Amino acid sequence: MVMACRVINKRRHMGLQQLSSFAGTGRTFLGPVKSSKFIIDEECHESVLISSTIRLLESLDLTSAVGQLLNEAVQAQNNTYKTGTSTLLFLVGAWSSAAEECLHLGVPISVIVSVMSEGLNSCIKEVVSLQVPIYNVFDHLDSTKTFSGLETFNISLCPFLQIPSDTGLQKERDLNDVASPSLTTYSLSGIPVKSPKLFRRQTEVEADKNTLQNPQTLKNSLLASSHYRKSILIHSRHFNRTANNQWINKPDGFLEQHGAATPNTYRCNDLVELEMGLSHGDHNSMKLVDEAVRLQYQNASIQQGNCTMPFRFDISRIFTCCLPGVPETFSCVCPGFITVVSISNTTLIKELENQPVRVILIEGDLTENYRHLGFNKATNINTLLESMKIQQNSSEEVWTNYVLQVLIKFNVNLVLVQGNVSEHLIERCIHSKRLVIGSVNSTVMQAFAEASGAVQVTYITQVNENCVGNGIYVAFWRSIPSDVIDRINVITIVIKTEGINLVTVVLTSPVTAQMQTKEDRFWTCAYRLYHALREQKVFLGGGAVEFLCLSHLQILAGQSLSKRNHVCSGWLHNTSSWLASSLALYRPTVLNCLANGWHRYLSTLMYNTACCSSEFEASTFIQQHLQNARDSGSPSSYILNEYSKLNSGIFNPSISNKLEQIPSIYDIIIPKIEAWRRALDLVLLVLQTDSEIITGLGHTQLNSHETEGFLFL
Amino acid sequence: MSRLEAKKPSLCKSEPLTSERVRATLCVLKGILTSSYGPSGRLKQVHSGFGGCVCTTSQSSALLSNLPVTHPILKILTTSMQNHVSCFRDCGLFTAILCCNLIENVQRTGLTPTTVTKLNQHLLSLCTSYLKSESCGCRILVDFSSPQTLLCLVRSIVTSKPACMLTREERDHLSALILRAFLLTIPENTKDRLILGNSIIVPLKGQRVLDSSVLPGILIEMSEIQLMKILPIKKSEAFKVALFCASLSGDFSDTGEGTMVVTYGVSLENAVLEQLLSLGRQLVSDHVDLVVCQKVIHPSLKQFLSMHRVIAIDRVGVALMEPLSKVTGTQPIGSIGSISPSSYGSVKDLCPAKFGFKHFLHLIPYEATICSLLLCNRNDTAWDELKLTCQTALHVLQLTIKEPCVLLGGGCTETHLAAYIRHKTCNEPESILKDDGCTQTELQLSTEAFCSALESVAGSLEHDGGEVLTDMKYGHFWSAHAEAPSIVNWPDLLSRCGCGLYNSQEELHWSFLKSTRHPFVPQTYLPHEATGSADNLTLDCFTAKLSGLQVAVETANLILDLSYVIEDKN
Repeated sequence: MVMACRVINKRRHMGLQQLSSFAGTGRTFLGPVKSSKFIIDEECHESVLISSTIRLLESLDLTSAVGQLLNEAVQAQNNTYKTGTSTLLFLVGAWSSAAEECLHLGVPISVIVSVMSEGLNSCIKEVVSLQVPIYNVFDHLDSTKTFSGLETFNISLCPFLQIPSDTGLQKERDLNDVASPSLTTYSLSGIPVKSPKLFRRQTEVEADKNTLQNPQTLKNSLLASSHYRKSILIHSRHFNRTANNQWINKPDGFLEQHGAATPNTYRCNDLVELEMGLSHGDHNSMKLVDEAVRLQYQNASIQQGNCTMPFRFDISRIFTCCLPGVPETFSCVCPGFITVVSISNTTLIKELENQPVRVILIEGDLTENYRHLGFNKATNINTLLESMKIQQNSSEEVWTNYVLQVLIKFNVNLVLVQGNVSEHLIERCIHSKRLVIGSVNSTVMQAFAEASGAVQVTYITQVNENCVGNGIYVAFWRSIPSDVIDRINVITIVIKTEGINLVTVVLTSPVTAQMQTKEDRFWTCAYRLYHALREQKVFLGGGAVEFLCLSHLQILAGQSLSKRNHVCSGWLHNTSSWLASSLALYRPTVLNCLANGWHRYLSTLMYNTACCSSEFEASTFIQQHLQNARDSGSPSSYILNEYSKLNSGIFNPSISNKLEQIPSIYDIIIPKIEAWRRALDLVLLVLQTDSEIITGLGHTQLNSHETEGFLFL
Repeated sequence: MSRLEAKKPSLCKSEPLTSERVRATLCVLKGILTSSYGPSGRLKQVHSGFGGCVCTTSQSSALLSNLPVTHPILKILTTSMQNHVSCFRDCGLFTAILCCNLIENVQRTGLTPTTVTKLNQHLLSLCTSYLKSESCGCRILVDFSSPQTLLCLVRSIVTSKPACMLTREERDHLSALILRAFLLTIPENTKDRLILGNSIIVPLKGQRVLDSSVLPGILIEMSEIQLMKILPIKKSEAFKVALFCASLSGDFSDTGEGTMVVTYGVSLENAVLEQLLSLGRQLVSDHVDLVVCQKVIHPSLKQFLSMHRVIAIDRVGVALMEPLSKVTGTQPIGSIGSISPSSYGSVKDLCPAKFGFKHFLHLIPYEATICSLLLCNRNDTAWDELKLTCQTALHVLQLTIKEPCVLLGGGCTETHLAAYIRHKTCNEPESILKDDGCTQTELQLSTEAFCSALESVAGSLEHDGGEVLTDMKYGHFWSAHAEAPSIVNWPDLLSRCGCGLYNSQEELHWSFLKSTRHPFVPQTYLPHEATGSADNLTLDCFTAKLSGLQVAVETANLILDLSYVIEDKN
């Protein structure tokens, strides 16, 4: 074994370059409009259609050390939050370029590391002001308004920078704000802000409106709205939405609360509004999530009776059933467990229908040879036959008979098995009117255990009366017309019992290649809502948070630091080093590079969502807003103002008379911030790496041209 | 058919150190080690080249164990470093760099190995006796009445591992946690001997570092479904525990060699299961509340136990066995025959716990010195580094309890020690010379080699091209911007010395570390008030550093003394 060692940052930092090139592949996945990619295997001519970062990385060759680290970071984000991977990948690219830029400018590595890391920390503290609290969204759930009821929306993908519409409602809100008796000014989360701009007198509001309609702003907004990128997106449809205005139409109105002493401008107490905001343009998936949540909520209210336990959205009790080859419109949500069984079960299901059946739950496989995990079979045991009697039955037959006996004894007609089931047994069971279903998800098993009183067992020998569950209903699931379902040659059944805490989301797609994407997108929406409800707060989305980070960093970079500023030198771990005292010298450079990363993020986001015809155009647009934000003195209040103005349509006179409103866009907080941190961590980890040590590599394994740059020990 | 092959003759090389290849590889190794040293050290990606996990690290323990070196001289070096690291866990890079520096410097002097070895030994003993003496100017006694010194020590260790990727806030949080975890392992009342417990590091990857925490007792990880099965836990004064290290899975894997023949109709599996169930019956009749098994419990036995309201937990793994047996006061049961009642233990309470996405059963003991440190970090590679760091810090705290003093860190001890040795050999050379019969010149050359080796270790802390200096009063280590104008106002350019004890506003004189300077007496006897007030010092473990110094000098002596390498080529 020879160890090779390669210096990786002689002139150009190879690791950072690799990172940016890997990250470049996922650029089009940023934002709500994701262009799909075909990945083609040159050797076996297989191809796969992907539209998410996680699937992209699955298909890329990431065997290099940096690729491994990138994959690890993305997987970790995905495993923990199931969302935020595209942001992570993009920022890895943007910030590795930023770090490289700093290296070029001669900034010491340790300074880049500490300034970038603390710069991001400071951003994270700053964006707290854009948090929107969520209040009791389930209180209004009984009202007739549902997500599916809202057929009409003007979908804004990037509201901060996009076409707004006018309702005139926003003005009323401002008036109400003025009426607020409280003199203290608060930002969204109750933290006092420097500028009391949010609460102005009516005259000021009017004046402000006039000033804002100056030619420059108008020109810019027109620029933004008049150019569209090549593709016409399904999301840019305009709908009429009049009857469901969340600001005024609620019986126990939001506005009334505003009229009272609540100084918070934004808050979210409506589930549909929250879901709309979190759907990021994917309404079909969010509609399914909405229905699933409602079903869970109804179930929970029935189960609890009068007990007032707060409802918790339990994402683990949602199960997806994919039916490729069925038109998209048949996607739906149903209580209970919906699954696909082979067509040979048809008669059996008919007989089981309309009567309660008894169930047992088997944790492992249901085969003769299955033994529990950790059981080692002895190989050196021979069985001796005492006489030459020919065995009537094989041992498999004996076992099958035994299983059937148990099922008959306990009068069990349904067996749910987590693992595989012996084919022979399935057939014998069909004959004796018993349904056995294998490969059942463990949370489905758990749900049935809870609802039916069954106890999961490993072996059929363990079954006793206590293990058997009651009151299960098996039926054909006929929500999809039989001619459609017959075409794909399966039958769908639903298994449920009273009060079962399990919701099945049936996902359909006529194109098999899109099935995976559909499922991924459903889960993305579901997890977004899950995290939002868990945290009880969300960010104002659509780029607002990133915009605040960008302008905050630029302001930080502009602030001069006195030489012995200890707040600043505290940024370095090692305060006694010379780096601490020369930090002021490099700080603006590094912060600006970090800010450029945000800038690239925003312009790519705008470009991807077709707000702008080129990234350059997007960039100028952002510059303009940045200038405004800086001039306003407080970027966070500027953003809040813009946000409501966008909603009231000051920015875009062309559609200002339409009576519709752009709903707010929301982002989830912790997963987003963690994605930022993970991205920066990865970049800084690679930045600080100066050599690669390859163990177990011989001289012979490297070609002569590859040995260049390698040192051997 | 057997074939005989003539043995190849052994290969013998003389004066191995003079070979160009050895020098080159030593240089590469030294490069790897020095570039990793200190809080701003560069990281190394260690991987196999065939995909798989990549370890990003700058720690000696991870680096050395992953370096498969070929040359015998390098093997001597890495092996002795690994020995040091496995005993002390800290100061591995310091030791290795010092050793490389010594070899390099001594070779340059051209002295004979015998002379050098003798003189190095003398210089080493000068160092150790000074470090241990009352007058030592770079040593602080630990005041156990306040956590400040220990906290600084832990923080210094955490800070020196950049691959952990911690922000300042996270670093402070974690340092406090490590110290708390350590304090939980100290028994409350001891009679004559202090027996420390241990902290179990529980992985919680993917979570935020600030979510890390410390709990007394043991956490046993289990799946949510498993946990649901044992809930609700009935309340009781104390839970009687049986701890098994034998497998209760019901298999018969040790049937020995040869073949076993059984009659048709006899089922060995059932026989074993019957035995297990009778064991279960005994456990129930002995009123055991909790059965914990290192390996697997047969599902039927589990079912039997849960029917009798006995909680059964299996597959806890070998790592938890010792802490479990300590906490519950039991001896692990190794057979499934009958159990003597004396082998049961107890715990005070059991409760379910959830951290991040993991579910645990929390065992709370009556009085124990075992705690669980739930360690979070964002990604795997940083988590692995953080785990090693925590282990190092916990070990260093243990060493510090035994020898309650710490050394100034940040390069100050090295430069101070070098200044002291220079002064000593210049002003009182007689004590050394009369023993060994060396000349004054030999002593001077040797001292210079030794001291500059020490100083270059300190200088290795600088990775960004800064200038390194030392002051002429305390002999501490300072760093400055390299592009400083030639005539500068040093006090304004410098801020604090490496360990953070002194600031540049005192009336001090500086000199570049590389330049030659007149020997001076560094200020000895560290005043107590000087250290008491400073709350942000960089500190090093006394025991580990002292041992590192000894190991480095002795290994260097050994390598310098080698005259032949004989390799068996067969």
